[in-house]
Amino acid sequence: MISYLIVSRSITHAQKTARVLERVGITAIVSRLPRQLSQDGCGYCVRISEKRLSDALVAMQHAGISKEKIYVLYDDGSSSEVSV
Amino acid sequence: MIYFDCAATTLQKPRSVAVAAERAIYTMASPGRGGHDSSMRAADTLYRCRSLAAKLFNVPDPEKVVITFNATHGLNIAIKSLAAKDMPVVISGYEHNAVVRPLYAVGADVRTIKTPLFDKDAFLYEFQSALKNGARLAVCTHVSNVFGYVLPIYEVAGLCHENDVPLIVDASQSAGILDIDFVRLGAAAIAMPGHKSLYGLQGSGLLLCSDNLRPLLEGGTGIQSIPRTMPQALPERLEAGTYCIPAIAGLCEGLSFVLDKKRNDCLDGIGN
Repeated sequence: MISYLIVSRSITHAQKTARVLERVGITAIVSRLPRQLSQDGCGYCVRISEKRLSDALVAMQHAGISKEKIYVLYDDGSSSEVSV
Repeated sequence: MIYFDCAATTLQKPRSVAVAAERAIYTMASPGRGGHDSSMRAADTLYRCRSLAAKLFNVPDPEKVVITFNATHGLNIAIKSLAAKDMPVVISGYEHNAVVRPLYAVGADVRTIKTPLFDKDAFLYEFQSALKNGARLAVCTHVSNVFGYVLPIYEVAGLCHENDVPLIVDASQSAGILDIDFVRLGAAAIAMPGHKSLYGLQGSGLLLCSDNLRPLLEGGTGIQSIPRTMPQALPERLEAGTYCIPAIAGLCEGLSFVLDKKRNDCLDGIGN
C-alpha cells in the first residue's frame, strides 16, 4: 500500500502533528524517517495513508503546523518527494 | 507520620506515581533513540508529560514544555540564556540560590529589591522603579521558599510587560498549588521542579519557555545527528542526553493528580 511520509523537524513535532491528525480521524503513525530520506541524520516523520494526504494538509494548516518535506513511499520501498 | 518538608520534596505521593515509574523501568527505553516499541512507548510518555503540563499551566504548545532535571536546571538554562555580564537584572529579595548564584556566575549587575517583608505595595513600587531605571531582565519567585510568602507575580509580570523587560519566574514552591498561567504571565521562562507539589520523582523538572533560550548542555538529541550544533527546534534544543524516563512517567501521574485536583477546584487561588 502506498503511504505518505510527512517529515517533521523533531520527534515532538511529529507527535504533535500526529495528535492533530488523529483528532480529525486520520490514522497517523510516528516513525523514524527512512535513512535514505534523512539528510541530517536521525529524523522522524508521520506516516498516513495515500487517501488522506489532502485532509491531513488541511488539518495541519488549521492547527498552524508547518510542514517540511513530504514523500510518497511505494510498496517496493522506493520513495520520491511530493510537491504540494 | 506527619511530614512537614513538602517545600523541599513531597514524600507522600499518589501511588500511581510509583507504579508508573516502576512500569517505565521495565517497559520503556529512550525516546527518540530508536523506532522500536519500547523507545516509542517512552516517546509517548514523554509527549504525554509535555501535554499534561501544557494543559495545567496553559502553555499553548507542548513543544514549549522542556523537561529538566529540576528547577535549578531550568533556571540555569533561562538565566544563562537571557542574562549577561554587567546586565542590570532586578530580582526580589526572596530569591533562592538557584536564581542568585547563576546570576552572579554570569556577572550580571544584580539589583535586589529591598523592602520590608511582606509589604506588597512597597515591593511593587520598588520593582517598577528598578525596571524604569534600566533593568533589562527580571527574575522573581512566585512563593518564598523561606517564608511561604506569595509574591504578586501577575502584577510583577504586568510591570515587566509595560517596561518591555523579559521575566523569568521561579515556580518551585507554587507549581501544583497555585494557579500558574503561562499565557497570562507572558513570562520568558517559568521553571519548576517535578518532585515538590507536582508529586513526581526527584530528578524531574519542567521549564515552560518562549523560543529564545539557548542550550545549557550540548549533546545527543535523537534528531539531526549529523550537524555539529544543537537542533533549533524546541524542546530538543534544550534537552541534550538521555532522559530519566521513570521519573517522567512518574511526573505524568503527578500532573494528572494535580489536574484532577484542579478540576475539583482544590487549587488555591491566593495571590492571583
